[in-house]
Amino acid sequence: MAVDADVVRLRRGDLNALSELITRYQNRLYRYLLRIVRQPAEAEDLFQQTWLRVVEKIRSFDASRNFDAWLFTLARNLAIDHLRRTRPQSLDEPLANSWHSETVADRIPCKDHTPLDHALAAERRTEISEAMAGLPMIYREVLTLRFEDEMKIEEIAQVTAVPVSTVKSRLRRSLEQLRYALEARYPGGTWQ
Amino acid sequence: MSDHDKIRELLALAAAGALTRAEEQQVAEHVRSCIACSNELEAWRPIASELRRLPTPQPSSWLVQATLARAEAKLTEQAERDWNRRVMIAVVAFAWLQTIASWPVFHFVSGRFGSLLEPQFSHTWIGFAAFTSLGWLAGGVAAVMLAIRQRGERRLA
Repeated sequence: MAVDADVVRLRRGDLNALSELITRYQNRLYRYLLRIVRQPAEAEDLFQQTWLRVVEKIRSFDASRNFDAWLFTLARNLAIDHLRRTRPQSLDEPLANSWHSETVADRIPCKDHTPLDHALAAERRTEISEAMAGLPMIYREVLTLRFEDEMKIEEIAQVTAVPVSTVKSRLRRSLEQLRYALEARYPGGTWQ
Repeated sequence: MSDHDKIRELLALAAAGALTRAEEQQVAEHVRSCIACSNELEAWRPIASELRRLPTPQPSSWLVQATLARAEAKLTEQAERDWNRRVMIAVVAFAWLQTIASWPVFHFVSGRFGSLLEPQFSHTWIGFAAFTSLGWLAGGVAAVMLAIRQRGERRLA
């Protein structure tokens, strides 16, 4: 059944509709929250709070809006409030670091694309995942929304309440910083 | 900034699939003739590719069940609140109706039905107004006390 139909049923207080929505979004929402707060226990708590907020606010949800964006906006607001209370420093925008002044390509040697075997793929993902976890919150967020949730830039702009140009700028910087972090961990591009 | 530098800034976004069609065309045309940018774009691809394939952490079934249980309680609470609100509106409407309807009855019973067309401030009217005011005052106090109690219960919950 379509999300819209579930939303309409939930507005009427249908618990089954909520169950279907939770089932549909549980992985994406939990992953998003986990990428933002990084602590599973906190992500679990925020996961519950988000769905309670959905129940509370569903009647004020504008049906012409995208439910995905609305849901992630609720989750984001809760996560940011949580971080502001518990770890305000984690919300700070990073200052211009030295790595901004030089292009990433200058530091990472170009190399031929080496064939990767299947066993190394999982390890590579762990490396990327760890490097991603070390990025500032706004960068982790834009990466997970773009690559893991496969949201369009316009949708990310809706969720994060910033202009499209800002989303693009964040996305570019997050990729550059991720690449820099990977290169710092694995000099010579060995992570690839 | 030269065209080359501009295109170079777009390469990460190109790998992320975040360019407009016009930008994509610009990049495609440029990398055909620029080996450095072509290599740079190729360097971005594995990062973008791996990011798309990161393992998805799964919430535990316990978490989903607990969330559903809490949400169910919340839905029930909301339904009760809505019901209470509807009942309150109905009671208030009924009270007003009864108050208005009781005027002619009151006059009829007191044998002064004719004075309804020419209301005067007699003892009867003052008594009736005092009685009505007292009733509404008591109702208001009860409503405020009920609201305070409900708020306290919600805070405890």
